[in-house]
Amino acid sequence: MRFKAGTVRRRGVIAGLSAIAMVGAPAFAQAWPSQPIRLIVPFAPGGTTDLVARLIAQGLGERLGQPVIIENRAGAGAMVGSEFVARAAPDGHTLVMSNIASHAISPSLYPANTVRYDAVRDFTHVALVTSNPSVWVAHRGAGITDLATLRARATAAPQGLDVASSGAGSSNHLLIVQLAQLAGIDLHHVPFRGAGPAMTAVIAGQVPLMSDSLPSAAAHIRGGSVRAIAMCSAERHPSFPEVATFREQGVDLVCDSWFGLSGPAGLPAAIVAKLNAEVRAVLATADVRARYAEFGGTPGTLDAAGFTRFVAEEFARWAPVVRASGAEAG
Amino acid sequence: MELLLTNLGHGFAVALTVNNILFCLLGCLIGTAIGVLPGIGPVATISLLLPITFGQPATTAIIMLAGIYYGAQYGGSTTAILLNLPGEVSSVVTTLEGYKMARNGRAGAALTIAALGSFFAGTVATVLVAASGPLLTSVALSFGPADYFSLMLLGLIISAVLAQGSVLKSVGMVVLGVALGLVGTDVQTGQQRFTFGVPELSDGVGFVSIAMGMFGIAEIILNLERPEQRSVLAAKVGSLFLTKEEFSRATPAVLRGTVVGSLLGILPGGGAALASFGSYMMERKMSRGRAEFGNGAIEGVAGPESANNAASQTSFIPLLTLGIPANAVMALMVGALIIQGIQPGPRMVEAQPDLFWGLIASMWIGNLMLLVINLPMIGMWVKLLQVPYKYLYPSILVFCAIGVYSLSNNVFDVYQTVLFGFVGYIFSKLKMEPAPLLIGFVLGPMMEEHLRRAMLLSRGDVMVFVERPISASMLAIAAAAMIAMLLPSLRKGKDKALAE
Repeated sequence: MRFKAGTVRRRGVIAGLSAIAMVGAPAFAQAWPSQPIRLIVPFAPGGTTDLVARLIAQGLGERLGQPVIIENRAGAGAMVGSEFVARAAPDGHTLVMSNIASHAISPSLYPANTVRYDAVRDFTHVALVTSNPSVWVAHRGAGITDLATLRARATAAPQGLDVASSGAGSSNHLLIVQLAQLAGIDLHHVPFRGAGPAMTAVIAGQVPLMSDSLPSAAAHIRGGSVRAIAMCSAERHPSFPEVATFREQGVDLVCDSWFGLSGPAGLPAAIVAKLNAEVRAVLATADVRARYAEFGGTPGTLDAAGFTRFVAEEFARWAPVVRASGAEAG
Repeated sequence: MELLLTNLGHGFAVALTVNNILFCLLGCLIGTAIGVLPGIGPVATISLLLPITFGQPATTAIIMLAGIYYGAQYGGSTTAILLNLPGEVSSVVTTLEGYKMARNGRAGAALTIAALGSFFAGTVATVLVAASGPLLTSVALSFGPADYFSLMLLGLIISAVLAQGSVLKSVGMVVLGVALGLVGTDVQTGQQRFTFGVPELSDGVGFVSIAMGMFGIAEIILNLERPEQRSVLAAKVGSLFLTKEEFSRATPAVLRGTVVGSLLGILPGGGAALASFGSYMMERKMSRGRAEFGNGAIEGVAGPESANNAASQTSFIPLLTLGIPANAVMALMVGALIIQGIQPGPRMVEAQPDLFWGLIASMWIGNLMLLVINLPMIGMWVKLLQVPYKYLYPSILVFCAIGVYSLSNNVFDVYQTVLFGFVGYIFSKLKMEPAPLLIGFVLGPMMEEHLRRAMLLSRGDVMVFVERPISASMLAIAAAAMIAMLLPSLRKGKDKALAE
């Protein structure tokens, strides 16, 4: 941790005071949760992370007996909101929707002096909420239907084949780098500001291909405005059984974007255990399962220790890919 | 045609149920309120109110959220006209002529034409959404990165050509605006530019902070310098009705604004802001009262206000026909739909006819409600001008602070606003207008993004800008405007016209 201890304490006190002011109840009560829980979403409202959080917030609040309030604190590749939680009091009333950007990619992507937390040590990782694979889609008229035709087109293009992504340094950008390496082809990354504009460009045919996350691509695949080429998952996806995986087509490209629940380091074990159990209970309800399934999300089943290991592995996996992509910021 | 009427009939049957009317009204009321409160915009409000809609059917939820969005466009003009405080990007240009009109004692007329223009534009744009949504989508899809770049270049050049006062100063402000827009993460490489290690700056300088600081807070500081001259202003607030001359001048501006707004609203990423800028520039060039611009020309309120409302309706087209959100509010709508179990996408019109046609019908009902809500209240808003400074200004500052904070729940944004308040004060002392700066700030980064994407796709071949017909014609108009500005005889004529 790079910030001064004094700032942490002062912020903690301020957070504590405002929490008291908010609910008008003693913040030091024994039973948890004794006040509404703030769930920080480190992205703007309306995105996948926000959606995933809102889908569990209500059920979680009902089970815990205190409302779970979503607070969006976007910025710096999800690091602004995550840092806020890293600095909060570890009392289980401030949590973050941790994800592949905030805890696996951004800390390697951004310049060291702007990264003010350790993705593993400064958090208590509580539960994996959901994960979904990435998927590659093509413009309908591009003549790309599978990895073989993709490879042929990329080889034929003198200056590489254009592939769109939702942004430089996103997991989908890194997949383009990985596929180019694994398949030995020349891919030319065209970044956009978010998945929406990138998908528009693919539908319009300005860019023939896109590496996207399943939630933002699902409706377009179902509606037929783009063609799914390959799924970046180990097995075929239950909601899209007709889409072959990269692995089946001969390239071992697997990537899940994941969303989890994490708190500040030092969260009491009793709270962690209870929160993990309640999250999994909410994820087991038919309604939540159905909603996640619609955009291709698989509910998480890891216990807290398993999720902590998972975050550490993800962080270790992406650091070298970020370096190879040349997208390191700063 | 017959099918359209059947569908619309179905839509009205959905929208006119008691529950849907109530939620439409609720949305319109909330929208007007947040539009009036500086800084608190539809994005923050809709994200706060999203949980309330979970218990309602999807159509009802979307009807209410849409009401908040276009209601905010109605309300946003109120503070822009009365207090020189644009709460939304789209009401920045309304401050230019609207606030001058208020200073001339025509606040009531400015508010009336803003409401009437918005109503007319909203109604027409809704017809457009219903009748030719899918067709217009394909037009929007034919805009490539090169075309966007040329369109925005044209916008910037025209804004410099038509600037009032010193051309040098306004070009300087545009350039400064573009430079401020470069702060943050570079889209192409992910590099941090001009952030000086401050993580809060990695997503750029906040638009609301700049707009509120440069316009609102700077204006308050300026007013504190002067002795309170409110009694004069209050006495002249007078009639809410338009004079015959004002009406005949405003009507063509409303019509032009509706057309410009409807078209620009469909372009992804543009929306209401681009529409109101576009309409303002058009009015400056074409309207009968162009000589009066800078001193409270009614066309400068009527055109942009119509345009931003038309655009806020047509920006639903990409969402409803493609399932692609054109701006942050539309992204929230997508979220609301998914939470309701509806996947927005290209098949939504067929799969969810209740939702699609119900929403369209509710837009008409909502626009009518807004007119009824807003017109009688204009008298009340205008009375706001009679509140003594010592009560009014502290309240505005508090609302601004709350509004800015609510954007991302971060105090950094509040500090940023204060800083831009002082900068704006210095600028107005130097007689430098903040509007060109904001235009540069909004258009600059979009222009850069499209320029670089066009070059990336063409592998560095600049010919792409002249090979595409849309792009080439935009560039030709821009070149003509530049030549016109440089020709001495024409320039003299323009200076004379603007000086009058």
